[in-house]
Amino acid sequence: MKEFPAPLTIQSRVAISVASVIGLIILWHASGRFEWVSPLVLPPPEEVWGSARDMLQDGYRQMPLWMHVASSVGRALIAFAAAIAAGVPLGLSMGIFPVLSALLDPFVQFFRPLPKLALIPLVILWLGIGEASKIFLIFFSTLFTVVVGCAAAVRGVGQGKLRLGEALGATHWQLLRFIILPGALPEVFTSIRLAIGVGWTTLIASEMVAAESGLGWMVMNASSYMRTDVVMLGIIFLGLTGYLLDLCIVILQKFAVPWAGKD
Amino acid sequence: MKSLVPAILSALVTIFSAFTPQQALAASPEKPKEVRFAYLNGPRPWILGKVDKSFDKAFGTPVKWINFASGPSALQALAAGEIDIARCGSTPVTSALVKKVPLEVIAVSGVIDGSERLVARKSIASIKDLEGHAVAYPAGSTAHYALQAVFKVYGVDSSKVKQVNLKPAEQLAAWKRGDVQAAYVWGPFWNQMVAEDGHELLRTGQLQDKGYYIFNAYVVSKKFATEHPDLVVSFLSVFEDTVKRYKADPDGSAAIIAKELGQDAEAAKQTLAGLAFPSLKEQLQVSLLGNGKNTADSNIAKGLAATAQFLVELGELQKNSLPPSFAPGINTSFLEKAAAK
Repeated sequence: MKEFPAPLTIQSRVAISVASVIGLIILWHASGRFEWVSPLVLPPPEEVWGSARDMLQDGYRQMPLWMHVASSVGRALIAFAAAIAAGVPLGLSMGIFPVLSALLDPFVQFFRPLPKLALIPLVILWLGIGEASKIFLIFFSTLFTVVVGCAAAVRGVGQGKLRLGEALGATHWQLLRFIILPGALPEVFTSIRLAIGVGWTTLIASEMVAAESGLGWMVMNASSYMRTDVVMLGIIFLGLTGYLLDLCIVILQKFAVPWAGKD
Repeated sequence: MKSLVPAILSALVTIFSAFTPQQALAASPEKPKEVRFAYLNGPRPWILGKVDKSFDKAFGTPVKWINFASGPSALQALAAGEIDIARCGSTPVTSALVKKVPLEVIAVSGVIDGSERLVARKSIASIKDLEGHAVAYPAGSTAHYALQAVFKVYGVDSSKVKQVNLKPAEQLAAWKRGDVQAAYVWGPFWNQMVAEDGHELLRTGQLQDKGYYIFNAYVVSKKFATEHPDLVVSFLSVFEDTVKRYKADPDGSAAIIAKELGQDAEAAKQTLAGLAFPSLKEQLQVSLLGNGKNTADSNIAKGLAATAQFLVELGELQKNSLPPSFAPGINTSFLEKAAAK
C-alpha cells in the first residue's frame, strides 16, 4: 500500500493555486492572440478587462457595477438568512423526532431536487414580479439542502455519547444542549455551506424574473445583445462573489465550532 | 490489465474512421446532410413549409426545424454554428451584425404592422397615460425597440414609466395578477391580454411614417451562404410560395399554422393579418432591401442603423463598435436570383 501524498504547506498550496489561475489566464489570452476561437465565442481577457474598466466608470445600463453586485448579494443574503432561520430548526427537529421526519420527508425529498427554473411561471403568479419572487426562488432552493443536512447532522451524533449522557442522568434539555447540538453543529455548518452554493446558482434563475439589476440579470440581458464580454465579466463577478461568500462561512465555522473535525 | 491498451487503441481508430468520411462530406460543396432552420413561436407563412416539407423537397435534403423562445437565442445558436437559416426580428439582427456574427440578411420575412401591439388596461386611455404605470416588454426584441420609439414619438417621459423586462408568457402571468398595466408584445400574447380587460393603444405599423422601420428578417450563416448559394436561392423561392399560399387562403393557412405551433387559430389569423409580406421583387426596391448597389440607402439598411443607434443610447451596445453602414450585412444576390426565376 502506497501512502497518500502528504498535505502541502499553506505557502506551497497558495503558490500552486495562484500559478494555476495565472496559467489559465495566459491560455485564455493565447486563445485570442492566436485566434484559436472567435472573439465572439470567447472574448480575450484584454477585451473583458476593457469592458470592465468602461463599466467601472459608466456602470451597466445606467447603474454602477457595484450596485449590481450589491443587489444580487442583498437578495441572496436575505434568502439565505430566511432559509437558515427556517431550515436549521426544522432540520434539527426532524433529526430528533422521527415522527416529524416521516411527516415532512416526502415533501422535502420532492422539492429538493426540483429544477427551480420550472417554478418561475408559478412564482410570478403567486408573488408577482417584485423582489419577493426573486428572493423566494433563492430561499426555496437553499431551504431543503439545509433541512436535509441538519437532520442528517443530528442522526450523525454518536449513539454511544447519548447513552453515556442518559446513564449519567442528563435531562432531555441537557442532552440537546451539551451532546446533540455541539455534535451536530459542524455538520450544520457544512450543510449551510452547501446550501449557499446551491442558492447562489439559483441567482441567475431568480433574476430572470423582471429584474433591472443584479449580476444574474446583467449576464442574461447582455446575452440578448451578443455582449459576450459583459457576459464573461458577469460570470467572473458571480464566481468571485460566490467564492467570497463561501470563504465567509468557512471563517465563521472556524470561530463558531473550533471543535469540528477533532472528535 | 495490459490487454486494455490495444483494445482502447482499436476503439479510438474505429471512432476516428467513423468520423473522417463525414468530415470529408461536410467540406465538399455537395448537398449538406441536413439544413437547420431556427424558428420562433410566431405564426408565419413559412410554417406551411414545415408542415408539408416543401423546403425538404426543394433542397433534396432534410430540414431540421429548431425552436427558440426569442430571436437573440436563435442568433446565439447561429453564431455557435448550430443554425444555417433563421427568422428573427430586426433588433436581434442588429446586435448580431454589430457584434460581427458571421451572418447575412437575405430577405424580409414580414414587415411588422399589427402583429406587435402596445396594449393596456381599459383604464389607460392614451399613450401619454402610461406615465405612472408598469409596461412589460421582452428585452432585445423588436417590441422593445418599438416601445422606446413610442416614448419618443408621443413625448412620454420614460423615467415616469416602470419598464419591466419579461418574456411574453411571463408577461401574461404578470398581466393576470395586475403587476403590469400595459405591454408591448407580439401575438398571440396581446390577443390574450386584450381578451382580459385590455385594449390596443398602438400597432407597430403606426411608427413607420415616423421613421421607425421594424421588420422580421431571414438571415443565413455566412458559411452556409458560401457553401450552398443554390439552396439559399431555393429557400427564398419556397418561402415566396408559402406566402402566396397564405394569401390565397388566409383562414385555412392560419388554421394549419396554428395547429402546427399548438396555438389558437383565431389569434394566429390576427397575427398573420398584422404582417405585410412584400414579394421578392418588391424587396429588391430601395424601399426595402434594394438591389445591392443602392442597398446602403434602403429602408432596411437605414432601419438597422437606427436600431443600432437606439441600442447604443440604451447602453446595450458600445458606440465605437457600430459599423459605418449596415449594407455589407445585407446580401441581395440570392433575392435577385430567386426573383428572376
